[in-house]
Amino acid sequence: MNKWHNPYSPVKTEVIDSIVETPTIKTLQLKPQVPIAFEAGQFVELTIPGLGEAPFTPSSRPSVTDEMFLTIMKVGKVTEAVHLLQTGDTVGLRGPLGTGYPIDSFMDKEVLVIGGGCGFAPLRSLMYTLFERSKEFKKLLFRGGCRSAQDLLYRQELAQWAKRDDLDMKLTVDAGDTSWKGHVGVVTMLLDDIGMDCHEGIAIVCGPPLMMRFVTMKLVEIGFQDQNIYLSMERNMSCGFGKCGHCRLGTYYVCKDGPVFSYDKIKPFPDIWS
Amino acid sequence: MEFLSRKNFFTWLEGLKTAYQVFVPCKKGAYRFYKRYTSPADDIVIGEVRTTEPLKGFFTHAREKVAEEFNPEAPPDKNKPFAIVGVKACDLKGFLVQDQVFAHQSPPDPFYARAREDNLIISADCTLTLDTCFCLALDHNPYPEGHFDINLSEVEGGFVVETGSSKGRQILEKHKNLFQEASPAVLDEREARRKNIVAEVVSKIEENEVPYQEHYPGMVERNYKSKIWEEEAQRCVECGACNMICPTCHCFMLTDQKSGDQFARFRHWDSCMLRNFAQVAGGGNPRSRLWMRLRNRFEKKFDFFPKVADFYACTGCGRCVTACPAKIDIRRVLKRLVHNE
Ligand SMILES: Cc1cc2nc3c(=O)[nH]c(=O)nc-3n(C[C@H](O)[C@H](O)[C@H](O)COP(=O)(O)OP(=O)(O)OC[C@H]3O[C@@H](n4cnc5c(N)ncnc54)[C@H](O)[C@@H]3O)c2cc1C
Ligand code: SF4
Ligand code: FES
Repeated sequence: MNKWHNPYSPVKTEVIDSIVETPTIKTLQLKPQVPIAFEAGQFVELTIPGLGEAPFTPSSRPSVTDEMFLTIMKVGKVTEAVHLLQTGDTVGLRGPLGTGYPIDSFMDKEVLVIGGGCGFAPLRSLMYTLFERSKEFKKLLFRGGCRSAQDLLYRQELAQWAKRDDLDMKLTVDAGDTSWKGHVGVVTMLLDDIGMDCHEGIAIVCGPPLMMRFVTMKLVEIGFQDQNIYLSMERNMSCGFGKCGHCRLGTYYVCKDGPVFSYDKIKPFPDIWS
Repeated sequence: MEFLSRKNFFTWLEGLKTAYQVFVPCKKGAYRFYKRYTSPADDIVIGEVRTTEPLKGFFTHAREKVAEEFNPEAPPDKNKPFAIVGVKACDLKGFLVQDQVFAHQSPPDPFYARAREDNLIISADCTLTLDTCFCLALDHNPYPEGHFDINLSEVEGGFVVETGSSKGRQILEKHKNLFQEASPAVLDEREARRKNIVAEVVSKIEENEVPYQEHYPGMVERNYKSKIWEEEAQRCVECGACNMICPTCHCFMLTDQKSGDQFARFRHWDSCMLRNFAQVAGGGNPRSRLWMRLRNRFEKKFDFFPKVADFYACTGCGRCVTACPAKIDIRRVLKRLVHNE
């Protein structure tokens, strides 16, 4: 036995299925040869053998370790190859990486989760965990927004969530169409009369940088405390474990100290929204 | 402390070859480069001053295979470890940063940690200075005071030998017939030479008006919005030489390659001065302008590291001053930052 474990090496993983979500988003169902346990908020690096890696946050239930789902938007080299994967193909997974949400500290609080666009994917695994533990929180709220009804991820699942009595959920789209019966407008509008004790509440935000910026400003405006606002920061990443230097944000490495940060921790840095 | 004559020194190097690949600094024109030791030669310079290339290349290679297929363990290294002779104090200071990143922070990098365990460091006092030397401004002397297995201080006819680790002591023990106890006279000579070289570095620092590190706290934060960055970055050609040559720069990038049905992952030294370093998919870039990347380089060295690890990530070796085709001089930038000008 060689004493040096190799953190650069991925675990061999089989593609069980590739599910089309929207024209640009697919969900991979994966089976790693060695089970990977993760906490909501942690991420993995997905290897396309011989081509490269990219970081993704699982969209599946953290308590299930022998299978993992990744929901992936097609934007470049690795993600385009991801969209060509078929059942039976071999990929690699490295992780879990980063630090998850401090869910224990949400005990007896009102918890508001806000998602935008592709940010829904990582939030799904968080929501599964929060549902499993929903009795521990005073109240659970979900507010989601995206560009159009076509871009909305997990529509059928969201319809199920809407019926849950442990969740207060509202969705909005920037531009409505005939198939859409819900709110129209940006997600910050759904925060105006949120009906919770903002000063004591927890807010979790995940979405594109611009959306996170506006939502954070709004949350502060309606009374949330900086240390109770949790943001998912996105940075260029290579190693995923605090060595390659790519993801530095102020005095932190996003891959290791994050990707989830409470707003008070990163607020002092000048370039957090870019 | 021991004394090693120049003649015995070469016998000793010969003996080290059984367990190590021995590298020594050799002079070529005005510069010094590490070369594999084969036999005694006139161009071997143990004292003098730092090599052109940084020591870090013996511990993380510029391009190195770090994973193969899905093997969970680091592949064994079948080569003999390195014995690197004549390492200067400014390169040893680089270990503060490289160790913090690759060895002390979990998970340890198996390739670096193994090289640190296996390689042998035989350092040496500087006996001359370059115009670009400013180690004393970064709070360390031009002679090694730690981070070595064995240190050599050049004196008349040979070296004063000091051990700095149990590995070093074992090596000396193994070759003990070659060493003799250092006489008070050679120890005095070592002290006198050390005093001289310190005075030389001090005069270089004064000539070039380099500020000492006690003036650095707050300088980057204070000048975050200063025009210094745009002015200094104006001539930068984005070659990344400053990063490659720096003993503390540790950033890298992973790339994957395929040959036949095998795939492998490589680690390459990377440069934060390059445009795509922080760019994300879709083109978003927190440091889209060159001056932001120059500022980031100083922020990492003089703001990030002192905050997370209590030291500045600069050794005062002056390599980046010489390497930069745009003549962006770190000493000038430090001076401007300290004086807010
Ligand atoms: C912690 C984290 C979680 C993420 N989770 C998801 C997810 O669940 N679903 C999803 O669709 N996307 C997610 N992303 C974004 C995803 O990683 C990028 O879309 C992906 O890296 C793009 O790779 P590419 O090769 O297709 O793009 P290209 O543009 O071809 O990539 C070029 C280079 O830039 C780097 N790079 C580009 N974009 C990013 C980025 N956003 N983050 C880090 N490195 C980048 C790549 O490493 C690569 O070297 C996440 C990003 C991070 C940091
Ligand atoms: S060496 Fe000089 S020109 Fe090259 S990237 Fe560094 S600062 Fe720019
Ligand atoms: S991705 Fe390498 S340090 Fe964060």
